[in-house]
This record gives sequence, structure tokens and C-alpha cells, in this order.
Amino acid sequence: MISATELTKLYGDFTAVRGVSFHAAPGEILGLVGPNGAGKTTTLRCLAGIISPTSGTIAVAGHDMRDDAIAAKRALAFIPDEPHLFDYLSVEEHLRFIARLYGVHDVETRLPAMLDELELSERRRSLPGELSRGMRQKLAIACGLLHDPSALLLDEPLTGLDPAGIRRMRETIVARAERGTAVILSSHLLNLVEELCTKLFVLRQGECVAFGTMDEIIATHPDLAGLSLEDVFLSLTSEGTEGAGA
Amino acid sequence: MNALLYLSWTSARNRFVSAFRRVQSPRYAAALLVGGVYIWSLLFRTPNRGAAASFLLGRPSEALITLLMVLTLMGSWVFGADVTALAFTQAEVSMLFAAPLTRRQLVGLKLFRAQIAVLINALIWVFVLRRGGPYLPSPLRALSLWIMFSTLNLHRLGAALVQSAWRQHGGVGVRKNRWSIAIFGAIGVLILSGLAINRDRLIHAGGIGEFFVNLSNTLLESPAAVGLWPFHLIVAPTFAKTIPGWERAILPAMLMLLIHTWWVLRTDAAFEDAAIEASAERARRIEAIRSRRAWGMPSKPRKASSSLRLGTVGPPAVAIVWKNMLCLRRTVQLRLFVGPLAMALAFGAAVSSAGGDTASFIATSSVTFAGILLIFGSRLVRNDLRHDMLHLPLLKALPVSSGDIVLAEVASSALPMAFVQIVLVMIAYVAIVLSSHSPLDSRLRDAILVASPFAALALNGALITIQNGMAVLFPAWMRLGTGVSTGVEALGQNVLAMVAHFATLGLSLLPPMLVGWTVALALHQPRPTTIAVATIVGAVVLAIETFGAIRFLGRALGRVEPLQS
Repeated sequence: MISATELTKLYGDFTAVRGVSFHAAPGEILGLVGPNGAGKTTTLRCLAGIISPTSGTIAVAGHDMRDDAIAAKRALAFIPDEPHLFDYLSVEEHLRFIARLYGVHDVETRLPAMLDELELSERRRSLPGELSRGMRQKLAIACGLLHDPSALLLDEPLTGLDPAGIRRMRETIVARAERGTAVILSSHLLNLVEELCTKLFVLRQGECVAFGTMDEIIATHPDLAGLSLEDVFLSLTSEGTEGAGA
Repeated sequence: MNALLYLSWTSARNRFVSAFRRVQSPRYAAALLVGGVYIWSLLFRTPNRGAAASFLLGRPSEALITLLMVLTLMGSWVFGADVTALAFTQAEVSMLFAAPLTRRQLVGLKLFRAQIAVLINALIWVFVLRRGGPYLPSPLRALSLWIMFSTLNLHRLGAALVQSAWRQHGGVGVRKNRWSIAIFGAIGVLILSGLAINRDRLIHAGGIGEFFVNLSNTLLESPAAVGLWPFHLIVAPTFAKTIPGWERAILPAMLMLLIHTWWVLRTDAAFEDAAIEASAERARRIEAIRSRRAWGMPSKPRKASSSLRLGTVGPPAVAIVWKNMLCLRRTVQLRLFVGPLAMALAFGAAVSSAGGDTASFIATSSVTFAGILLIFGSRLVRNDLRHDMLHLPLLKALPVSSGDIVLAEVASSALPMAFVQIVLVMIAYVAIVLSSHSPLDSRLRDAILVASPFAALALNGALITIQNGMAVLFPAWMRLGTGVSTGVEALGQNVLAMVAHFATLGLSLLPPMLVGWTVALALHQPRPTTIAVATIVGAVVLAIETFGAIRFLGRALGRVEPLQS
């Protein structure tokens, strides 16, 4: 559903991501983890078609991001850590805007349900400037989920959400995956990653140091057996560790 | 090193270093050069500076400036001090207010920081007044101006501190600052007494010039002169005409500066609440100034009280036009059009005054207004890529091709502008038909009416495309969003962008004009028909050119990455 092959991204002389390959099948939740500056956001932005990879290929729902970008983008949703919203569109107008862009014909049915689900019904006429940080994040999530994407890219999706919102978001991610959506989740919250993700993709300095299920990662790194995810993460991302994909 | 000195020093050093690094880039260096030349030509190359300086440094000016200073400062006491005098940056509020620092240290930081603005103001005025006749050498004038501006700044800060104490401590604050209040109360009484004594002279002045002469004489006589005396001490060195005169004036002025410094540093008022409020107020004011300067884009949109309907099916790019129309509806300010409208009405009145015909006045004003909007419209309405480039990550994630995005963005600004201009031409047409002194024969005005929609659409499309093209191709050279960059290089960038805009427009108009002219020569038709057909053909050629440019810009937008913008 989402696949990247030999993905490389250079910014001038700086290599942000170097030759990484991974895939997330329908129903899978892939946890994208790594220390600050590892290249997680660059990877997600490449997958979302916001920036072009220097080399390598990306495919979303069978559509190549370079050759058939529109179809690939129509199949996915990218929810960034910082909600990017238009200052002059209300909550409801944001959703109508997205509906038109993504060709959601039954918006009149989906819109109230989405507003209810994310507790935005009472703020449907509010502009982003009138919303709290958490509410803006919920609106960004609603925009991402409205067209029922088959691939979902989440960059720190819980930032700014209240405890109820966090629980609901966790349930939403799981529910979407159960309905066949391929999810890539980038987060520093390792307990969240451990709870939700079926596979892990660990980046360090732009390179893949581990990819696969926990069992597969342990199989390629026997010394990590019995450690918590936090210890596994710290071990894999510390200097001097040899990278290996499962 | 003291932490606050360290903060000031490192901030200034880093700002200079980053500015220096930026100037190493050719585009910033060119912009700095152009901006510098522009400022130099504006400030220092203006002829007849001597006459202006002589006027500015005359005795009546001295009295009036002293009065203005007193009124400004007294206004702080009567109507409330300018709270932004206490403003700190958000980082300063969160870090310094929580740090173990005394209020006096924080006030000291404010004073130190203010010296940058004071020095810049003093230097500018030294240059402006440097050819002010046989007056002071520049270093002495600089010192005088520095003392004047520093004292004013201290007074402004002091007033804000005292009023902050009143608000936080009520009667206790008033008692604590009773001497400040008593002194300014006495000054006010003296000035008002002087004005009351000479009221007949002021009321019965035979014109504005005589009024000001009488006013300055009133201020130079007792009792107003007594009240103004402390303030006159502050401005006297600046207005001194000889070096001995300056030497006599400078010591009292320095004494006033020292008294103010002592007063401000001694005022141990609890100003934190007011400072936090002031910091937010300053941020709001800066935003408001930027919004006014960023025409058509107030920072905060009006409430979403009503919407426009958007169908659920159809080309996705239409959604971008819809979004931008909502932006236009919620953010465009009618007052932006007041200036051009007033110019158009004045021109209409001047042209039609001979005939005294209301209809021709309306026609002239409408056509003039349409013309002004055509020329300056692309700066009035900016709800296109010049705004949306700030949302580039969002735009690039949308399932719409880059070419369609550019087309939709250009249409969002070009269509409303063209619509308004077409309506104005139609109003002019109707007015001319009704006018008793129609300057155009009926066939010619019919031809203009038919051709103007084509011309308006093509010209606005081309103008907005050029602006959007610069935003896509040279984002660092364009003002994007509501933010306004400042500084000499920003000024130079604006000048260069404007030159590039008109040069590109001139080049893009060549083919349509050539084709239109050829068509006109080939037609052998009566003049009105020729004009209409040639204009329409020229507009079509321009539209084709613009469409090609939009497709090119679409490909360019596809290559632009957020980090690069």
C-alpha cells in the first residue's frame, strides 16, 4: 500500500535520508522512530509528495508518486505534527474544501459524523484563530480522515490533544488499520508505538537501522532480546550501532 | 559579564553576523546596494535642504516643537501612558521575568535597548539637518539630538512605570509618585494660563499662519514660557545657532537627562503585569501595522458569519478559487480602496468642472478608478500564491496538479479585479450615454464597452501572473503572506521587484500590441470596429501568453520545496 525503495533525499551536501526501503501493507501500522534529526519528517514529506526524493521510488496504493502524483495523493492523507490550516476558512469550510479536492461525494453524510467524532460540532463555524491548539489538531485530523484514505501518514498525531482526544485518536488509528488502511506513524512516544504498531522502522542519521516486527528485529539483533522497546530504541540509535533491516 | 549585558551584546553581535552572512549572497548584496542608493537619494540628495533646515531650526519651530513635546508627554499623564513603552519581547517576558533579577535591572535593560532607536533617530536627523545653514557642526548636533531623544524616551518610560504603579497599588502608588504628579500638574496650569491670557490673539488670528505665529509668541512669554522652561532646556541645544550658545545650553540639557535617568531608575514600580500586557499590545500593534502595509491582508480575518456555496463535484482546483474568495470576502478592507477612489473622484471633478455635468463627472471618475485599480490592483488584492506560498506543504500534499494550483491562484485575484473594472467601465458607459456633453461618439463608446471585458481579463491575468511568478521563482525576493520584512535590503528588494514587474509586463505586452496593430492595419474598417477587434485580438494573444506562463510556473511550483521557500 505504501512502499519506498532506495529512498534518498539530499539538501545540498547534507544527506537527510540515505537509501531507505520499507513498506506498509493494508492493515499494518508502521512505527517510524528515530532520534531528533534522524530524517523522519523528511521521509514522511517525501511519502506525502510534499518534497521530491533525490533518488528512489515511492508508491502509494499502486500509484508511483513521481509519475502519477495526483492519484497517489488522492489515496493518502498526511497529518503533520503542526496543524497547517487556512486562517480564513471555518472548521466546516475546511472539510468542504477537502471534500471537493478529494472528490468526497457524500460529504453531507460524512461531515456531521466527522465533526461529532472529533468533538468539533459546536465549533463548526469557528475560524482556526478561535480554536485551541488541540482543537486545531483535531481539525487537521478530520481533514485527513474525511476522504477515507487508504494510506495514512501521521507525524506526532497526539501533540496538543487532551486525554480523551488521545484515547479517541488511538482508537481511530486502530480502527482505520482494521478497515485496511496502511498507516505510518511517526512518534517519540514509544509506549504509543509499542501499543499500536505492528512493525517498526528505525532511522538514525538518515539511514535505516532496523525494519520489521519486533520479533524480526530481535532475530537480527539477538543481543536485544528481553529488552523493553525504549532500551531497544536507545540501543539501535546510539552511536556505533551497526544498521540492519529485518 | 553581567547577564543582561551579555544578552544585549550577543544578540546585537549575532544579528550583525547573520546580516553580514546574508549580504554575502549576491541577491541580498544587490538588494542592499539598491536600498542604500534609494535611501541616499531620498535623504541626502534632496535639493534646497538648507532652506528646509533653516525653517526647521527657526525660533517659532523651537517653541512649537517644545509645545508638541509637552503635549505628547502630558497626554501620557492625562490620557494614560503608552503601555508599549514597557513592552518586552515574549522571550524576555518568559525568561527574564522568571529570573532572579530586580526591577531596576529590567528597566536598565529597557533603557539600554532603547538606545539603538535613539541613536538611529539622532543620526538620521543629523543627516537631514546637516546643511542647515551656518549652524552647529554635526557632532554637536548629534549629541544634542541624542540627549533630546534619550530624555523623551526616559520620560515616556517613567510615565508608563508611574501609571503602572497607580494601577497596581492605587492610592499608595499615587502617594509614592506625588512629586511627579505635582510637577506636571503645575506645568499644565502654567501653559493653560498662558493660552487663556492670549486667547483673543489666538482666536482672532487672520489665518493659519498668523495663528501659529501668535501661538509661538504666546509660548515664548510668561507664564507659558515658565511652564515650558524645563522642556525648553531639553530641546535648546538642538536649536542652538552658535557654538557658544550650544555650550550654554548643553549642560542644563544633560542635567535634565540625568534627572530623568535618576527618576526612572528610582521608580521601583511593580510593572510586570503592565509589561506583559504591553508586550502583547506591542505584538498586536506590529501585526496591525503589517496588516495595513500588507494591503488587503489583515492578519486576523473577520468572523465566519456566512459562507459561499461549494459544490461537491467538479474540478478540484475550483475549491482553491472558492477558498481564496472566502479569504477575499473575510479579509479585504474597503478602506484600502478609499485612497484610489478619492483620487479618481478628484480627477473626475477636475476634468468635468468645465462642463458642470454630473454624468461626465461619474464617467471620468469611474474610468479613472478602473485605471488605478488596473495598475495597482495586483498590490491591493493578494489572495493568491503570494499568500498561499506560506502554506506550501499543505498545497503540495493536495491531489491537484501544480499547473492547476497556479491557474486557480491567479484566477482568485485576477477575476475579482477584472470584475470590478468591468463594472466601472459599464457605469462610465451609462453615464456617458446620459451625459449632455459626451466626449465620445456612440459607436466608439460601444466598441470600448465590448472590448473592455476582454482587455480587463487579459491584463489583470497577466499582471497577477507576473506577481505570482515572482513569488514562485524568487520567493526570497517577494513579500509573502502578511509579514513585512524591514531594513535597507528589504527596501532594495521591493525596488528591484517593482522594476522586474514592470519590465516583464512591458515585454509581455509587446506581442499582443504587435498583433493588435497588424490586425488594425489589415482590417480597413471604421475606427470603432478596428479598435474593438484589435483590442480583442490583442487580449487573446496576451491571454495565450499568460496561460503559457502559468503552465511554466506550474512546473516550477512542482519543483519548489518547502525548505527552499
